[in-house]
Amino acid sequence: MSVRNGIAASRTRAPRNDSAGFAASRTGAPRNDGLDCNAEELMVVLMAREVRDGEVSACGALSQIPAAALLLAKELHAPDAELIILNTVFRPFGTSRQFHFLAQRGELGLFFVSGVQIDRQGNYNLHQLGPDLDRPNVRFPGGYGGGMIYYCARRTIVFRTEHTRRSLVEKVDFVSAAGHTPPDVLRLGGPSKVVTPKATFAFDQDAGELRLESIHPPHTLEEIRENTGFDLGVTQAPTTAPPTDEELLTLRGAIRRKMIETDTYRAWAERTLGAA
Amino acid sequence: MGVPYVPVIGLVGTDLLKRRDDMVVAPDPFGSGKVSVVAKAMRPDVAVFHVDKADRNGNVSCGYQVEAVILAEASAHVVVTAEEIVDRVTEKDAVGGAFIPSILVDAVVHAPSGAHPGGMTGRYAPDKEAMREYVTASRDDAAFAAYLEKYVFGVRNHEEYLERFVRQAIPA
Repeated sequence: MSVRNGIAASRTRAPRNDSAGFAASRTGAPRNDGLDCNAEELMVVLMAREVRDGEVSACGALSQIPAAALLLAKELHAPDAELIILNTVFRPFGTSRQFHFLAQRGELGLFFVSGVQIDRQGNYNLHQLGPDLDRPNVRFPGGYGGGMIYYCARRTIVFRTEHTRRSLVEKVDFVSAAGHTPPDVLRLGGPSKVVTPKATFAFDQDAGELRLESIHPPHTLEEIRENTGFDLGVTQAPTTAPPTDEELLTLRGAIRRKMIETDTYRAWAERTLGAA
Repeated sequence: MGVPYVPVIGLVGTDLLKRRDDMVVAPDPFGSGKVSVVAKAMRPDVAVFHVDKADRNGNVSCGYQVEAVILAEASAHVVVTAEEIVDRVTEKDAVGGAFIPSILVDAVVHAPSGAHPGGMTGRYAPDKEAMREYVTASRDDAAFAAYLEKYVFGVRNHEEYLERFVRQAIPA
C-alpha cells in the first residue's frame, strides 16, 4: 500500500496546458497579503488546530504541510498526540502493512490527505483527469491507501494548495474516496474539513455536502464564490482566526529547526517557513 | 495469511472498485447488516524482487523493512536478485522484519546495482536522469518500444547493462 498525498507525480499523455500548475510549486509559497505569513504557513497553522491531544494523527508520503502541522500541534496544544508521518523518523513502524491494520482497527483519530480535485460531496480525486475514465488526460499516483483511510480515520482533513474552479469542482472526474456513503456501509469516520489557502469548508454529515465555514483574510465571499466550482451552501461566513504570534514563532523557530534536524521535508522547511 | 479473501473497511463508492474484479461489496456474514469491500487474495505464480543480501541457501535480508516478506509468502515461486551474495544470512543480520528464510525462496541471482534506475535503500540513490528518460519514454508505445530495445533486449547480460548504463553509484 502506498499512501501518497502529494499530487506532483508521473503524468502520462499530458497536454502541457492541462497538467502545468498541478505540480507542487518549487519556488516557495505565494504570499498572503492579508496576513503576516505565506499561504503554506497559514495552511500549516489551520491544520495544526485540528489535531487533538491524545489522539493518533497521521499523514502520508509527500505531505510537507500536514507534517509541519502535526509537529506544530504537538509542540503547542497536543503534547500527547501520537504522530505518524510516513517515510520520516516520525513513524512508529516501517511497513505499510502495520499502518493498514492500525487504520482498519480504528486507531486513527485524524488523517490529512490531498486531492487533485475535491467536490461538493466531499469526494476527492487522486487518480486521473478527463471526462473519459478509460482515456485520462493526466494520471496521478492514485492510491489505495487514502481510499481506505478515508473510511477508517474518525476525521480526515482534505487540503489543497490551489483554490480554483479546476481543483474545487461540482463532481470529481474520478472518485478515489467517497465523502458520503449509504448508512449500511461499514465506516468508522469520514471527511471533516477541507482547507485551502483561501478558505475552510466543513463537511455536513447529514447533508453529505461541504459548506463554507470561514474565509481567510484578506479574501472575500465573492472571491471564494468566483473560485469555487460548487455552491458554497451559505450566504455568509465568518473570517478565519488569523495565526497568532505564538503559532507563527513556534512554526518558524522550533518546528523549522526540528524538520531540518530530523530531515523531515528539510528543503521545504528551509524554503518556506519564515520565507517572506 | 493464506486466506482466500479478506474484508476491508473502505473504498465503497469509489471508481476504483469499478475497475477491479478482485474487490466486491458484500454483506457481513455475521448479520450486522453492514456491507464492506471484500478483496480476493493475490497468489502470484512467481515473485521477483531485489534485495540487499542473500546466501547460497536462499536466506535473504531485504536490507530494510519492506513488504517483500508477505509477497514471498503469497507467491508459489520466489526469485530474488541480490546486491551481494554472502556466506550466511540469519535473522540476526536483517533489521526488523526484513528477513526471508530460504524455505520461501527458489532462486538467488547476484545482481549488483540491480535496482537501477531505481535506488536501493542504504546503498545508492535513484538515478534521476535515467528515471526521467524512462518516464518520458513511457508516454507512447513507440518510444517505450525503443526504450526496451536499448535497455532490455539490446544488452546481452547484466554486466553489459552495468558497463553501458550505470554511472558511478550515487550514495543513498
